[in-house]
Amino acid sequence: MAGNFWQSSHYQQWLLDKQDLVRERQHDLQILSEEEYQKLFIFFSNFIQILGEHLKLRQQVIATATVYFKRFYARNSLKCICPLLLAPTCVGLASKVEEFGVISNTRLISTCSTVVKNKFSYAYPSDFPYRTNNILECEFYLLENLDCCLIVYQPYRPLIQLIQDIGNDEQLFSLAWRVVNDSLRTDVCLLYPPYQIAIACLEIACVILGKDHKNWFAELSVDIEKIQEITRYIISLFELWKTYDEKKDIQALLAKMPRPKQSPSR
Amino acid sequence: MMDYEFKMKTSNERTKVEDLFEFEGCKVGRGTYGHVYKAKRKDSTEKDGSVKDYALKQIEGTGLSMSACREIALLRELKHPNVINLIRVFLSHNDRKVWLLFDFAEHDLWHIIKFHRAAKANKKPLMVAKGMVKSLLYQILDGIHYLHSNWVLHRDLKPANILVMGEGNERGRVKIADMGFARLFNAPLKPLADLDPVVVTFWYRAPELLLGARHYTKAIDIWAIGCIFAELLTSEPIFHCRQEDIKTSNPYHHDQLDRIFNVMGFPLEKEWEDIRKMPEHPTLIKDFKKSNYTNCSLIKYMDRHKIKQESKAFHLLQKLLLMDPTRRITSEQAMQDPYFMEDPLPNSDVFAGCPIPYPKREFLTDDDQDDKSDANKRQNQAANVSLTYSFYLRH
Repeated sequence: MAGNFWQSSHYQQWLLDKQDLVRERQHDLQILSEEEYQKLFIFFSNFIQILGEHLKLRQQVIATATVYFKRFYARNSLKCICPLLLAPTCVGLASKVEEFGVISNTRLISTCSTVVKNKFSYAYPSDFPYRTNNILECEFYLLENLDCCLIVYQPYRPLIQLIQDIGNDEQLFSLAWRVVNDSLRTDVCLLYPPYQIAIACLEIACVILGKDHKNWFAELSVDIEKIQEITRYIISLFELWKTYDEKKDIQALLAKMPRPKQSPSR
Repeated sequence: MMDYEFKMKTSNERTKVEDLFEFEGCKVGRGTYGHVYKAKRKDSTEKDGSVKDYALKQIEGTGLSMSACREIALLRELKHPNVINLIRVFLSHNDRKVWLLFDFAEHDLWHIIKFHRAAKANKKPLMVAKGMVKSLLYQILDGIHYLHSNWVLHRDLKPANILVMGEGNERGRVKIADMGFARLFNAPLKPLADLDPVVVTFWYRAPELLLGARHYTKAIDIWAIGCIFAELLTSEPIFHCRQEDIKTSNPYHHDQLDRIFNVMGFPLEKEWEDIRKMPEHPTLIKDFKKSNYTNCSLIKYMDRHKIKQESKAFHLLQKLLLMDPTRRITSEQAMQDPYFMEDPLPNSDVFAGCPIPYPKREFLTDDDQDDKSDANKRQNQAANVSLTYSFYLRH
């Protein structure tokens, strides 16, 4: 499904505006500050990334899973489904859609257990609590809430084209690629078309490496203001990272996070 | 894990397929893909007061298999007059069934060709009208061109997957169905022998697939379109082959290749240079003798079926059925072919306003369902089909 972004469900249904996000998050933001909310999403994006890497998934699949995850919570409170359950569910669904091949639920769960134990014990001291039937049930809710929109456009492909145009530069490419990965820890994938995100990430990479491609950027016909907005999201992520020690803070945040109630409240 | 109120709220908001549609006893098809029902809205009338038919497809198995995911993902994005339109998805949480809602297509090329073959058997030949073949082919190419330009490969084109709309505002329009879902050959959802004969076939498989090509390509779809075109012109599957010994795990299929060479002749090195690079090339060299096919050619085969080599139809067919996939015409080039510039021009109603002679879809009875006593019946059915074919292929 390449080359048809403007007719895609991604463009038509899933480029949200800032106001929408603020409104939908109101419930969660009564309990969490904006910064705490963002820190939780950084944490779960990392979780999806590492889970995906353990399953040897391509970055495209990992990114799609992350977008599913963010889309679900863009419409629902964190309390609706436990993110530790939704995250692997997104990974499983994305790998089926991206035709990576079916990861058996047994393998998905055992990899989750390993990852939680070896990489995230600072957040979850106990074992990974979910089983196959939890994932299966969750998958239907996920698909329903995504309104069956499963094809997600990512900035990677436009980034490859931009790099070719700017003149192949391996160092620049690999840094820009990593900035795109970082951008998944912000809201930009919910707010901006992927080609704009690719341009912003490339620009950031140029600045970091001190490469002057101003003339080249000037010739792109693109909404500069949008690029700057995206850049601000990513820069503020970098700022947050400088002062934030996830290992120290995350348990308190997870404890504070709104959680599902399994029986009716009276 | 999941919030009780969230579950209650979504469950109350969710529309159940059986609340919205009436389809009991209205099964019109089954196959690897699942079951298809002809359905009507329970609140009956459309906006204009008419009663519209829908097709409801219950996907085989439970939950979200990879092919179900691919199907939903792709159909959600695709929009073209010649590609089947997914109206809505119903997820039935209790039994974990997935239902897809489409417009109902009364006809398909498998039934249309079968109708013509039966007419021929009764010595009342009723050939597919020339204008109709052209309109069908043009619309198939149009739909496939759309899919291909979106990097969607069909991978399983055959007459049963080419639907044609009946009476209504899309009268006589082709709808390509069942596209893009890697139905894994070595891991079918159901044993192949359990399925309708129409579902399992090698007849439309390109030679490079039969020689072990590992990837599906646009050219593979084009070959299948060539096969369908020939079948429309002659009412007979051009690469018909016995099917009793279908082995599911190996792409290499001796009898099917033999059949292709019997029609096309054995590929010369200069016609298909890369044939030497095919994984099964050594087996090919071991199993086949070029000299057995010296008198075979597409020209002769089509001439026996009264399609002359000078005709524009034949010229286009030849370009679609090139053995070398790299030389096969693209859908875009094919749509520019002189065949489509010459009278009769292709029509958006393939029946060109004429009465539709083909019967409507019949409902499958309940005992036609999955129970085991049915396996025999199906085998007989398969045998009948083979008999009919071999009857025609004798001359």
